[in-house]
Amino acid sequence: MKTDALIDSLAREAGPVRPLASPLRRLGGWLAIALGFALAMVWAIGPRPDLAERLLEARFLLEQGAALVTAITAALAALALTMPDAARFWRWLPVIPGAAWLGTLGLGCLRDWAQMGPAGLRITPDPECFVYIALIGSLPLLVLVLMLRKGAPLRPSWTLALAALAAAAIGNFALRLFHTQDAALMVLVWQVGAVALIAAIAGLCGRQVLRWPGVPA
Amino acid sequence: MTSASEGARSSGAQESRHAALDTLMRAAQAGDRQAYHALLQEVALRMRRLIASRAPWLGQADVEDIVQDVLLSLHMARATWDPSRPFMPWIAAIARNRLTDHARRYKRRQSFDQAASDLAEAFSTTSGHCHAEGVVNLMSVRHAMSDLSPGERRAFELVRMREMSLAEAAATEDSTVGAIKVAVHRASRKLKKAINRDGEETR
Repeated sequence: MKTDALIDSLAREAGPVRPLASPLRRLGGWLAIALGFALAMVWAIGPRPDLAERLLEARFLLEQGAALVTAITAALAALALTMPDAARFWRWLPVIPGAAWLGTLGLGCLRDWAQMGPAGLRITPDPECFVYIALIGSLPLLVLVLMLRKGAPLRPSWTLALAALAAAAIGNFALRLFHTQDAALMVLVWQVGAVALIAAIAGLCGRQVLRWPGVPA
Repeated sequence: MTSASEGARSSGAQESRHAALDTLMRAAQAGDRQAYHALLQEVALRMRRLIASRAPWLGQADVEDIVQDVLLSLHMARATWDPSRPFMPWIAAIARNRLTDHARRYKRRQSFDQAASDLAEAFSTTSGHCHAEGVVNLMSVRHAMSDLSPGERRAFELVRMREMSLAEAAATEDSTVGAIKVAVHRASRKLKKAINRDGEETR
């Protein structure tokens, strides 16, 4: 096809388009759905019996806060990266809250060790964490992927990895509201480990899931 | 006129050209087909110029291929442009993305050409090493490749160009090691004959 003919046909078929809302506004929509679903799952499974007590504990609030902010910044970064002229720094947005999350858990490990000695750092298998995180993160991830596909994912691997990080961090946030596991090392290995694994797998599938501009190479 | 004021004038002119593109794109998003047509033409023109300066070795067809790819990408992504931001950085990011993709494909094709050229040299029994002869040999290989049967060509590509083992090629082609071996042998013989024949003709 000649380029002029292509221009003619593109111009002919082009109707008005509504510019996509800003990433921040779209983030609001996603967060409402993701948190709504996550909290509904917590309610369905049954919150942990000591939840009221935990909610008064600074350490628990700090860890949960860091997980939530990591989720929010990762989702915002993923949405921003589907705008072609987005600055490169967006992809690093979740680094600080992510580091804070790891930092609070790392400090938690030290405290557990100081209080309980080697018993505080015991690792026992807890594979259901992965299942719950994946389960609770599934709908938020699906919704976010659908939102990302409306944009132009020029950097598909980064975008999908950030989206999965956001969804899995929401999953982890909800998990800790019903799963009575607070040993920092256990949370670090089984829960944050699951979140990182899910994000890494998603990063590898980025090109397949968020193919852009949608025509095969 | 001083060169400083000339520079200021040209940068001012460029700014107003960029602002004109912003206006066209805003109108295009609102559904103005004429504005969209003008915008696409302007982008095509700029892309053609850019590619010609960056990759002068590309043929007309390749250049148009990339230009069309950028236009289609612009079309599909047009809702992602924020009207409160300038158009140029937005289209530049899209163009960069498409160019990188094409460069990747071009590189793959180039390594194929390199393999063909190495082959031409390896098969040629003529002693000359001048550039012209190399080109003739390369052309001969490409020409001769089209004379091979599809099975011979696939087997030859897999074994000699992608450097697969006979067993790997057999597995890929759902064939046997023996059949692949025969196909590669036949293809080599035909190519060698073709190169020598062309070499004689050009002498």
